Amino acid sequence: MSIQVVNLLPLPKFAIRSRAKTSAGFGRVVARADNDPPRSVGGDQQQLNLSVLRFTFGIPGLDESYLPRFIGYGFGSLLLLNHFSGSGPTSDAQLRSEALGLSLAAFSVALPYIGKFLKGAGMTEQRTLPEEGNQIFAISSNISDSLKEDLAWATYVLLRNTSTIAVMISVRGELCVRGYWNSPVQMSKAQLLDWFKRKVDEIGLSDVKDTLYFPQNNSGSASWEILSEGTRSLLVQPFVQSTVGSQKMDGFLLIASTAEYAYSDKDRAWIQAIANKFRGPHELLAVT
Amino acid sequence: MEAGIILRFRIPWNPNRRFSPPSPSLPVFIRASSTSQSGSSYRGPKPTKNLVADFVSRNDDGVRSLPIYVGGASLLAVLFNRAVSGIAPVADASSSQSRADLLALGLAVTNILTGLVWLSIRPKTITPVQPQGVECEVVNSDLPAPIVSEFIWAWDSLSTSTCCRSLVIIYDGICLLQIGMAAESPEDRRLVTVNTDKLMKGSVYKGVMKSGAQNYLANLSLYPGRSELPFLPSNTQAVILQPLGDKGIAVIGGNTVRGFTSSDQAWISSIGEKLDATLGRVNLPRYL
Repeated sequence: MSIQVVNLLPLPKFAIRSRAKTSAGFGRVVARADNDPPRSVGGDQQQLNLSVLRFTFGIPGLDESYLPRFIGYGFGSLLLLNHFSGSGPTSDAQLRSEALGLSLAAFSVALPYIGKFLKGAGMTEQRTLPEEGNQIFAISSNISDSLKEDLAWATYVLLRNTSTIAVMISVRGELCVRGYWNSPVQMSKAQLLDWFKRKVDEIGLSDVKDTLYFPQNNSGSASWEILSEGTRSLLVQPFVQSTVGSQKMDGFLLIASTAEYAYSDKDRAWIQAIANKFRGPHELLAVT
Repeated sequence: MEAGIILRFRIPWNPNRRFSPPSPSLPVFIRASSTSQSGSSYRGPKPTKNLVADFVSRNDDGVRSLPIYVGGASLLAVLFNRAVSGIAPVADASSSQSRADLLALGLAVTNILTGLVWLSIRPKTITPVQPQGVECEVVNSDLPAPIVSEFIWAWDSLSTSTCCRSLVIIYDGICLLQIGMAAESPEDRRLVTVNTDKLMKGSVYKGVMKSGAQNYLANLSLYPGRSELPFLPSNTQAVILQPLGDKGIAVIGGNTVRGFTSSDQAWISSIGEKLDATLGRVNLPRYL
């Protein structure tokens, strides 16, 4: 049995788990280096540097954290099989045992799901590109050059440092769109921007007051036809400019990713920081 | 001679915002958007609450040991059941009852082991160390206003999203910004300003400039070059040295050992590139 100290060092989010290819028979347990980037959750600012001894069967594609689920299903079905294949009436004691066994099986099945939300659970999925959707980069031309540069930089940085595939930033109605969107092809940049503006008005994104975060692909996101197929996480961050009295929205930032639970708390803090760059008075906004 | 005046620059937004969910100032992870939306025209979907995720995130320690208790209690329950029903506690697979009990025992053991695995990967929390020094905001007076607001934005982002508590920006041989906590000189109890000549002759600066890459000193107390950064508070725990192109450097001091995560490092290098691009366009008068 080979043991290896495993270093779960934080790596960029798109790292794949590397597994040793072995011909593992059942019962031969092998340790391997696991490049699971841990996710930081909760009030913990620090990402977690974990060095853990982990045993694995070495079977590619088998995620050992789902083992309780497999065992739960397996033993649960064996219990049912046992119950129905028994000859004669089942005694009370056996019924009690079986009830206990079935509830334990149900609990085991739920364990991987619960474990996903613990601190240090490596819940990252690899960032994949959507199959449909075209890659576009369009900035409204009615704005000053320095604001254009800021928008280009902000969208670039969001695409690079998080698992985002599509970014849209709207500043006082002027849009910057970058990434993979489900937009009609064969449109000029100006027409594209108009099309996006219309879609944004339809959804009413400019009036969003709080941050909206959809970590999984709920049926709600089907109404957002501008997003490409395969989008799982979505975050809408409004820029709040609180003047005395009312809260006026200066614009918003919309990012989407193909991974579920793509934006950890730390990511959201940085996204808020990027959003703050576009808040406030824009003397640089050229008025046409 | 270095020119610099102390300016009190505060962009009018919440200066005491700190990165700490679940504080009410930051939007909480998956919450139905609080509706001050009467009259809003946002027509999209609203995010739903995930009770399990919230519960697990809040009671992390309890949930980690939960499977152990469940497994242990079931183990005892199986034995108790056997004892009460008058069957001898013999683990053989001869009767239905025994088989059901064995399966339940197997599930209980799985739960116990899962609980042990969860406990073993519990992350160690490192407490932040309050930096000893004085709070300061020293901005070079020759800088144009957009640059200063960009610096303030960078400082606000860093101090809110990371464990950064001190920021010093040096460009073209001039200290342009010293903000956050700084060391206090023992003789006159005033701020220790940055001696750029001394810094630029030191090995720390030269090493960073030569490699052109970010240097992360995760545990500053172990690093002998500590003496070249006397302007940082004496108990600064971690430092990131970010080169700004080939003309400047940003020194970012944090209050936690290994407090900067890899995602923070990526964001800081992006910000470094942006600052370099912005500063490269400015003509700074030189006093040297």
